[in-house]
Amino acid sequence: MKCFPSLPLLVLVGILLLPASHLRAPSEAEGNVAGLESHKQTDASESSRLVARHVALQHQLAQQAPAGHYIVVDTARNRLSIIRRQEVLLTALASTGSGTILNDPDRPGTRWIFDTPRGEFTIQSKLTNPIWVKPDWAFLEEGLGIPTDAEHRLEPGVLGDYALGFGKGYFIHGTLYARLLGQNVTHGCIRLNDDDLQRVYQLSKVGTTVMIF
Amino acid sequence: MVLAALTWATPPSTSGPASQTGNQARDPEGLREANRVLEEEIRLAAHPQIYLLLNLPDRSIVIKGRGIELRRLPISAWQAIEERAMVGVFRLRARPQVARPKATPLDDPAQDPIELKDMPVAYELLFDPTLAVTVAPPFQDRPWLWAMGLMRDSWTKTVSWIRSTAAPDENASSPCLRLTLSVEAAQSLAWSVTDGMPLVIRRTTPQ
Repeated sequence: MKCFPSLPLLVLVGILLLPASHLRAPSEAEGNVAGLESHKQTDASESSRLVARHVALQHQLAQQAPAGHYIVVDTARNRLSIIRRQEVLLTALASTGSGTILNDPDRPGTRWIFDTPRGEFTIQSKLTNPIWVKPDWAFLEEGLGIPTDAEHRLEPGVLGDYALGFGKGYFIHGTLYARLLGQNVTHGCIRLNDDDLQRVYQLSKVGTTVMIF
Repeated sequence: MVLAALTWATPPSTSGPASQTGNQARDPEGLREANRVLEEEIRLAAHPQIYLLLNLPDRSIVIKGRGIELRRLPISAWQAIEERAMVGVFRLRARPQVARPKATPLDDPAQDPIELKDMPVAYELLFDPTLAVTVAPPFQDRPWLWAMGLMRDSWTKTVSWIRSTAAPDENASSPCLRLTLSVEAAQSLAWSVTDGMPLVIRRTTPQ
């Protein structure tokens, strides 16, 4: 197990050593002084090399950033932002996943966890006047049986004017419950109010990066 | 005597002031370490994922994606064992457990969601390769949890010591970090981490 050296101890040792090295320097042979100069030059060139490398690496890292607009979603604070380079173009109040669990009473072992997925995604689809295709859990939540007919799953008018799919059935869409924006209440999708949703729709395109944390 | 008193009175290995970063960036060792971290970051940022940068000289945890800072959480204080071994990319085994409410049919989903305030403030994050990060609130915020964190930390150190004594050649040095975070920062970190999330650490004392 490592013991940590104490800072005051090191400082004190440093202070004690410093005057001694000063006193020794004039009495050194000329060759040694030349060696010291050469050492200093080597140090300087090493530092320059390190600084140049540092700048190059920073540049390389900066190039990994999305080229155009990108969307950032903070699920803890329920905020969605659109950013281009370092400029924030929009910050909107959102609703994200509730984190709750729903068990299927008819199929033991089947359950849904209503989390907004975290990680990096891309906008895969942009829809206008979207129609919600209700999944099984939506019927279970309402205490209804799961329909066998696909037509009974369609529900228009609940997702707002636009929906932007970012994979695995998750969307950024509108809401009928604007009063709940800022809270973790959804089944995993990201809800926005009408104005913000329109702005996000306008500023995004298929392929826009979405970072969710 | 004075030396001994000074040594004893100083909190061990608490990180230096924030200005240390600037100094470190100017010295070769600091630059080497910064460059090493940047190289790791470039590899991580090349993939579609969110990762953590634990910047010890800066006293911050940065949540990043594609090299972009998404959120910065301040570290109040930290202590490290085997800091020199904290190189490479660590991956989180599992995020902290949280009790998830069960949704019941016909219930209002807004009634009982998981919120930031439901996240733990004292917990342990285990990474691969072996790294234990214990998180605890400052003493003044939650004395009880602070003490619990200290006990958990002591236990980790004891186990590590016993292992290193029993088998000195095998994995004798397991790096450990103890982070003191504000309640909000601790809960935000617990919220944001995901299973398998990569972590890179910028050290203060590269060897």
